[in-house]
Amino acid sequence: MNLTDHLLAALLLYGLPALFGMTMIAAIGAPLPTSLMLVAAGSFVKQGEMTLWQVIIVTSTAAVLGDQIGYGLARWGGRSLVARIGRKIGGEAKIRKTVALAKRWGGPGIFFSRWLVTSMGPWLNVTSGIAEYPWRRFILWDVLGDVLWVVLNVMLGYIFSDRVQAIAEVFGNLAWVILGIIVAVILGWKIIQYLRSQESVTKNDLPNRDQASRPW
Amino acid sequence: MKSNIRSTVKTFRWQQWLVVAMFLLVAGFTAFKAVHMARKVIYWQTHRDEPIHGWMSVGYVAHSYRVPPYVLYLALGLPHKPPDKRPLREIAKIQHRSMDEISAVLQNTIIHARPPYPPPPTPPPDQSPAQGASP
Repeated sequence: MNLTDHLLAALLLYGLPALFGMTMIAAIGAPLPTSLMLVAAGSFVKQGEMTLWQVIIVTSTAAVLGDQIGYGLARWGGRSLVARIGRKIGGEAKIRKTVALAKRWGGPGIFFSRWLVTSMGPWLNVTSGIAEYPWRRFILWDVLGDVLWVVLNVMLGYIFSDRVQAIAEVFGNLAWVILGIIVAVILGWKIIQYLRSQESVTKNDLPNRDQASRPW
Repeated sequence: MKSNIRSTVKTFRWQQWLVVAMFLLVAGFTAFKAVHMARKVIYWQTHRDEPIHGWMSVGYVAHSYRVPPYVLYLALGLPHKPPDKRPLREIAKIQHRSMDEISAVLQNTIIHARPPYPPPPTPPPDQSPAQGASP
């Protein structure tokens, strides 16, 4: 049996406590297939082995708690560590820029990383903590996103209760495709920006192209 | 336009090449995952039955294959009341059987519980606990 099979077997045997533990550990940063666990839990709800409201409340609470731990550790431990590293090896300006970016786009980033691009969730907890993103706003976006994630996956498992493995295989790949598209678009945009800047440099006919401003 | 791009590419430093390489890597990975996903969607559109795995319970297999659970419990020598929630791997271990053997028994029972075979009879009232049964 692989790890996923062990986790699914644990879910069958121990039910809600297992689901709570796995979800919380995954929210802190462990790479566990929690979306699949939720789909399986939805299937068990349909079969009458679990109760819908209990699954939703327990899993949402576990996810929010795990996120808070990640955020808290980064805010009260990670920030000073990053500042120390910045002072030692440089790059303080870049850190400041990243922090400003995290503060500006924190809300939507937190929300979408809870349910759409879940593999980014633990990273966003850390960057939000380091950027000292306001805790009240963090918890608001966090609860909204986590509850949506739980309800979506459990309902998916409930609707396709006889095909947990099929759903897991398809949606496991979908999450990677979404993340890949987002990263590819960002990188592609960077390349286009560079090509455009060089084109404008050529048009202006600057004598030394190496002196031209570079966007990255 | 083409010559413009070519001349711009010539100005690339290692940072620009790194971004291009990362872009190609991510695009390739995404395309691979997208193709993999499409293949899975096509496969699951034509295959309704999931392969039996060790994590599944007897109840889940019955639900997935749309057969009455008691038929599978009886085939494994287990009482059908109360429902046994243990994973098949656990049942195989207790009954000193391999997972392949358990899977073969279940597959055979499923075939005989579905059309064109006649539907299984109504479940017996109670079973005495057999080997590997729940306490």
